[in-house]
Amino acid sequence: MPVRTPHFPDLLFGSAARLRRWEAALMGLLAEQGYRELHPSLVLREAVPEGALRFFDGDDLVALRWDFTVALAGLLARSFPAPPPRVAYAGAVFRRPVQPWEAVERFEVGCERIQQEGESSTEADVELARLLMAIPGVLGLKSAILHLGNAALVRRPLEVEGIFGDLAEATVAALSRRSPHRVREALDGHPSAARLTAHAEALLAELDGPSTLAALDTSPYADLLEDERHHMDRALKALLPILPPNLELRVDLADVAGLGFYTGPTLRLWAPGAQQELAAGGRYDQLFPGLGRPWQAAGFCVRLSRLLDLADTRPDLFEAP
Amino acid sequence: MTTPILIAFPKGRLGDELVPKLADTPLALDPVALKSRVLRIPTATPGVSALLLKGADLPRYVAAGVASLGIVGSDTLDEMDMDLLELADLGFGACRLSLCALAGVTLDALRARPHLRLATKFPKATEAWLTREGLTAELVPLSSSAELAPLLGLADAIVDLVQTGGTLKAHGLVETAVLGRSSARLVAARGAYLSEPARLRPLAQALITALRGA
Repeated sequence: MPVRTPHFPDLLFGSAARLRRWEAALMGLLAEQGYRELHPSLVLREAVPEGALRFFDGDDLVALRWDFTVALAGLLARSFPAPPPRVAYAGAVFRRPVQPWEAVERFEVGCERIQQEGESSTEADVELARLLMAIPGVLGLKSAILHLGNAALVRRPLEVEGIFGDLAEATVAALSRRSPHRVREALDGHPSAARLTAHAEALLAELDGPSTLAALDTSPYADLLEDERHHMDRALKALLPILPPNLELRVDLADVAGLGFYTGPTLRLWAPGAQQELAAGGRYDQLFPGLGRPWQAAGFCVRLSRLLDLADTRPDLFEAP
Repeated sequence: MTTPILIAFPKGRLGDELVPKLADTPLALDPVALKSRVLRIPTATPGVSALLLKGADLPRYVAAGVASLGIVGSDTLDEMDMDLLELADLGFGACRLSLCALAGVTLDALRARPHLRLATKFPKATEAWLTREGLTAELVPLSSSAELAPLLGLADAIVDLVQTGGTLKAHGLVETAVLGRSSARLVAARGAYLSEPARLRPLAQALITALRGA
């Protein structure tokens, strides 16, 4: 599939109408489930990361909103003594592209499920997965694939082995490439190299069906990851009976995208043949404590810009309007 | 609608090793098309074609999802920061990435130069090695025939791939340090592989079986 996203995309009539229609339909779905909209300012004055679009407003360095979750977290931590349990958002974020074909301005719709620290998160995670399962139907996708992962499957073994910094980054990059041989190279000489390579091979063993979880039996960290495995097993048992037609559910044990941010279960939505995930999210329990709030949270974001591209380049993947 | 699958194969040294290994497999390249000048070659499997590309361009085709699978040297992958999957080390095409200088010039002599000039088409790997060694150097970017650079005074030494050492010897050069090793890797487009594993995994497995020379 050719990728034709310009850096600063102008949306002409059809795409503009599609964006408006999809935004409305998705926000309607979220509102029905009790998610209330928040709209953080487009211009942010907090410390901004590399990759944000920055400029001077007089003497002040400001940035265009680069991420809804981070912007919302700041807003929520400043404005609410207790967390609103369900929030939703829609709009654009601006980021310098990592890959040459990525757009700078990206349209997104998403939601966050926030709880007090210590509350059970299982129901919240399943709630988000169920919500994401409804989204292909709302968007008119003929078929889709939902990947369930868990960032802790990689985070916890690395932490237990005392691997942080550059070595952790190199190991995660190798896993992101799905390359056990690169994991071995990255850890060459480290006392945990053999264990972590065996773990990488277990994570990369399968990518289909609930039996994928059994691959964890062969990992040297099987006992350490018992809770995560049960959590994924419970989620599968809750989701498989209500799987909509034309949606496939897969377990992806080696999902490490966003590992610096996610702390637990992750969700990714694909369409068959699409080059990029169409929605992504997961549990990120360290963001609010870092802002001084004892809250835990999870959420996902639907990447409408990618969906607009897909509707242009692969209209066969969508039902006729 | 089922879209055809494209596999990107490298031209040049790796390609020369690869094509005979694929003969009599489901991914054998059409011999008539191979002899022509076309760069898109049908394979023995209907709906699967090969693209013949320069190694430096190949990862871009795969990362963009134009080609779903590809074979490329790990030296090229390491020089390019492309978002793709690297499914297997295929073992063949093994060579060393080495620092090479005129015979008689030692590594210590190179280290002692106040202004070291290194010609290479592998700037990322060279910079990483210089950092590890605590050295600084002026990098002279070249895309081919690096062996000429020390002979003609363009650089003090080169960082280049060495397989048999024949080309080095022909130019009076010797290896003074090995920076790394390279071999052919099977790569895949992230989106295609994760969203259509049922289509791509059998092809990936067929390539691994044919090319690892099991």
